[in-house]
Formats: sequence, structure tokens, C-alpha cells
Amino acid sequence: MEKSIENIWKEGFLKSDALVVPKINNLYNQKSIHIIDKFKRMFKINLIAIVAFSFIFLIASFFVGIPITGVIFFVTLSVLVFINKNLLNGLDKIDKGVSSYQYLKTFNEWINKQIAINKKISRFLYPIIFMSMIIGFWFKDAEGMPLGERLVSEILIGFPDIYLINGIPLIGIAIVLLILVLLAFFGGRIYKWDLNLVYGSVFKKLEELMTDIESLRS
Amino acid sequence: MSSDFYKTSILPFAGIIIKLCRAYTNSQQDFEDYYQEVCLQIWRSKDNFREESQWSTWVYRISLNVCLTLLKKKKNNVQHFVSDSITVEETEDNYAFSDESLNLLYDAIRKLSEIDRAIIMLYLEEKSQKEIAEIIGTNPNNIGVRVKRIKIRLKKILDGKIN
Repeated sequence: MEKSIENIWKEGFLKSDALVVPKINNLYNQKSIHIIDKFKRMFKINLIAIVAFSFIFLIASFFVGIPITGVIFFVTLSVLVFINKNLLNGLDKIDKGVSSYQYLKTFNEWINKQIAINKKISRFLYPIIFMSMIIGFWFKDAEGMPLGERLVSEILIGFPDIYLINGIPLIGIAIVLLILVLLAFFGGRIYKWDLNLVYGSVFKKLEELMTDIESLRS
Repeated sequence: MSSDFYKTSILPFAGIIIKLCRAYTNSQQDFEDYYQEVCLQIWRSKDNFREESQWSTWVYRISLNVCLTLLKKKKNNVQHFVSDSITVEETEDNYAFSDESLNLLYDAIRKLSEIDRAIIMLYLEEKSQKEIAEIIGTNPNNIGVRVKRIKIRLKKILDGKIN
């Protein structure tokens, strides 16, 4: 009697050789490359976004009347992009032909170097951006005179005995200095927080993969 | 992918992944590539799993999608402009099961259209019409009729070859 296809299927797969799971040695290599490629794509998009934003902001700053802020923003962010683009070029040099563990280790070293450099930059970057805003708004035209001077003259009406240094209230200078110091001090941490916000999931996957491979190696 | 994830979330379904990959490949090398790609894709997509269906359904769906995508890529690469119905490449000699009847059945399944291959395999895995429809993305009412037609077609292909 002819067997039904259902029986052929069931009986065929009862034999031991039918369902041998293939080795997946190469899987870790593919995953490592996938994670790093994903990071590279995100990193490139991020750099492009910074360039686009700083350019749009530069143009907008002229219309809003704070061109000093726009120019400082543009120059500072361009330097940041230039440095990071150079760092990214270093990432492209990582040999994909090495083992996944070696590949991830090299990538990890690159990431640590990149974070260390950007943390240092951030200590200057955030204060510079803050100062550019202050200077930009200070010199913004307000009915024929700079906004800062106008503000000071109005403060002087309310507080005529306020202490001034070069025509700027001491209290204002102190507050700005305090914020600058705080930004310089916490710049690295702000950068780390920002980094985790954007790349947190990639870093988590990377960490999982490294742990996984390390446990397989031990 | 953590080895835990592989062991707990993929390995229990390795059977169906293997069976599906076998139906869309003709050589051990292709089969291993397809299997690997399916595992990788399941791992990549795990965060998208919303528990609206069973994990097994999710695995079947990904496996099928990966197989169809890879098959399409392969077809494009060799620039085969053929219809959906019959695309049979010669199967490598060493790419066979020890059970001759199963080999013949697989050869017959490979002669079916890509979607019919998936339907019949899910049917043979005793999936309900609803589940098959969910995985394929079609109406459950059509599945029963389609399975009957596929079985008739398979019987014709296998006619007299299996006792």
C-alpha cells in the first residue's frame, strides 16, 4: 500500500540524521559585523545631523539677529565633526577577517578611545556653546543698542547700587561663571548620558555579545 | 546572541527551521547559510516580538521570510526569470536524508511554488489552518482547499515512486 505523505514525513524525521542542527560557528562573526555596521551607520547619520543642524542654525541665527552664536556654533560643531570623522576613518580600518572576539575587542578599544576624546572635548564644547548663546544674545540688536547693554540699563533702574565690572553686573558674571564651571565639570557626564541615549541599545548588544564570546572562550 | 537565547528560544524550534531551510535549498552549504541567517534574523528581531502571537509562530514566520528573501536574492543573482510555479535546481548528491522516501518527498516539495512549499510543510507539522494563515499572511478559509490541491499535486509527482 502507498504511504501517505503525512506518514512519510513523520517516519522520515524519526531517523536520527534527519534533524541534525548545523554548526553556527560563523554566527558570531556575522553578528559582530552587524552590530558594528549598525553603530557605524548611526554614527555617520549623527555626524550628518550635526553638520545639517549647525548649518541651518547658522543661517537662522542671521535672521534671528544672533549671528555670533550661529558662527561660534557652526565652527565648534564643525571641529567636532572633523575630529569624529577622523575617528570614524580609524574604525573602517578594523579588519573584518579577524575572529569575532578580536574584531569586537578592537572595536571596543576604538569606542573607548572615541569616548575618552569626546569626553575631553565636551568639557570645552558645552561651555563654548553656552558662552556663544550669552555673547550672541548680549550683542543682539534691541532697538538701536545691544540687548545686553539695554538689560543692564534696565537693571540699573531697579537696582542703582548694583556692583558692575566693565559695565556688567557682578552677580551676572558670577552666575555665568558658575554655569561655565558646572558645564566644564559635568561636560563629560553630559556627553556619556547623551551617548547612552543614542547608542545605548547598541552598546548593550555589544556587551552581551562580548560576554557571550568570553564565556565560550573560557 | 547570547548562547542562552539560542538554547531557549531558537534550539527548541530548530526542527522546523531545518525542515523549512531544507525545502528551499539544494546543497548543504546553502542549507547551513539559510539556517544561520534565520537564527541571526530571529535574534535581530527578538525585540520586535510583541507577544500578539506565539513565539513559535513568530519563529516560523521569520524562518519563512528569510528563506523566501534568500531564495529571491539567489534567483536574482543567477538572473533566472522564471515563474513562481516550478523552479527546481538539481539537488547535490550528498544533500540527502538516509530515508529514501523522505528524499523523494522533499524533491517533490521543491517542485512546488515557494508559498505552497511553506503551506504543505506547516500542514505536515500539524499546524492549524488558522496558524498557517497567520504565518503566511492569508485567509484561513483558503488554506484547507489549498492544502488539498497541494497534496494532489504531490501525489501526482510521487506517483508510483514510493511504496
